[in-house]
Amino acid sequence: MGLPSTVLLVAGAAFLSHAVYSSYEHALLFSPSISSGNKHPLPLDIVLELLVSITVLCAGIVLAAPKLKPISWRVWAREKETEEKNVNIRRRKEEDAGLGAQVGNPFAGLEDGSRRGFLDVRGARKAFAEWVREGGGGGRS
Amino acid sequence: MSTDLVNPPVQLQPEKALHLSQLAPQILKSSPTTSLPYPLSLLTTPESQETWVVYENLVFQCLRTGDDDSAKECLDRLVDRFGEDNERIMALCGMYEEAVAKDDKELEGVLKTYNKAIQADPTNMLLRKRKIALLKSLSRTNDAISSLVELLDASPIDSEAWAELSELYFSQGMYQQAIFSLEEVLLITPNAWTIHARLGEILYIHGQSPSVNDAEILKSLSESMRRFCRSLELCNDYLRGYYGLKLTTKRLLDVLPSAGKQSDADLPPPSTETVHKLHELATRKLAEIVRRSASKEKGWEGFDPAEIIAARELLDRETQKVDR
Repeated sequence: MGLPSTVLLVAGAAFLSHAVYSSYEHALLFSPSISSGNKHPLPLDIVLELLVSITVLCAGIVLAAPKLKPISWRVWAREKETEEKNVNIRRRKEEDAGLGAQVGNPFAGLEDGSRRGFLDVRGARKAFAEWVREGGGGGRS
Repeated sequence: MSTDLVNPPVQLQPEKALHLSQLAPQILKSSPTTSLPYPLSLLTTPESQETWVVYENLVFQCLRTGDDDSAKECLDRLVDRFGEDNERIMALCGMYEEAVAKDDKELEGVLKTYNKAIQADPTNMLLRKRKIALLKSLSRTNDAISSLVELLDASPIDSEAWAELSELYFSQGMYQQAIFSLEEVLLITPNAWTIHARLGEILYIHGQSPSVNDAEILKSLSESMRRFCRSLELCNDYLRGYYGLKLTTKRLLDVLPSAGKQSDADLPPPSTETVHKLHELATRKLAEIVRRSASKEKGWEGFDPAEIIAARELLDRETQKVDR
């Protein structure tokens, strides 16, 4: 949430509570009785303040909304395709969406060597041992 | 807990796998165990949705890095929680047995236990998949293929299994069958741009193989081009798609002029003009992606460095030819 939206939200809330308070006071002063009827309608300034405050609040809420997600498949797909390999984007997305969010290409599980049901555990083990032997472990074996 | 453990990609770099498996003792220590049986255990040990996913992933990463003790510990906890008869746990236990088996004889033993369990309960899909994976890693590809076909007879909407079947057929050089299997995957997930690109690649390779005749080459190359185009339609700036598109259109430009008119084909080959345009487009987009990702422009930094290098080499090869 940026500064402009915060300012708008605070101002809108202040105006709104002020308008509500004023109308309450107004109602107390000219409490409508059965005989008098509605001779004292709400003054124009209170009505205006109410409308202005709601407009300002709406603007603030719209400004504070998070960035829109892509609506077109190809744009969304590009985002997924590149975020998978980009650690920074991944991190940010995870923080946005909370734990366990779907990150990366949702179809990655269908690619060669990435199918969860058919994990080649011995191959992975061998490849890792190979990597350690080549000194990739940085001395930690 | 690290979020990477909840949803890690399967093909993780070794460094990251090592890092994850080194988290195991810490996680095992920080989450307490209880001696109570399952429903009562919830009273003393809280568990979230991710708890057991994390354990499951830890088992695989620890097995991968050779930390069998931690893997066993995680597995024991999973067994305590879900019982030995749980399908998922059975598959995980099988994976552990496979990983710690010392020679082929022990692996045969594992295979036998798989067979017995599958006979007892033929609906255990996860275990049947593990059996196929084991057959594959024992290089008994033909057995793996026949088991997989059997599995797909029972459950033809399993896209993962179709994709695996395609890979197995491809490894045997049976391109037609591999293409058919991938088309089945596309029936289930028609929007998977990666599968469209993969299908394009297999079609391209099929078109290169020496045994096929000219009409077949033209057909599979134009089909390949269309598949790559579809993958690009589904994903903007898809480097793999543009790479494939450039290769196929280039090959098509060689093949097309010599090919005669084919009126009997249900889908006529594309016109030379279209192919030429597509080739130009692919070259332009590849150059753009390489350039912008090299200068690390915002929104262009997520590409795989290896893919970028390959694309640059492809472009360089072309310019050298033009220079000569």
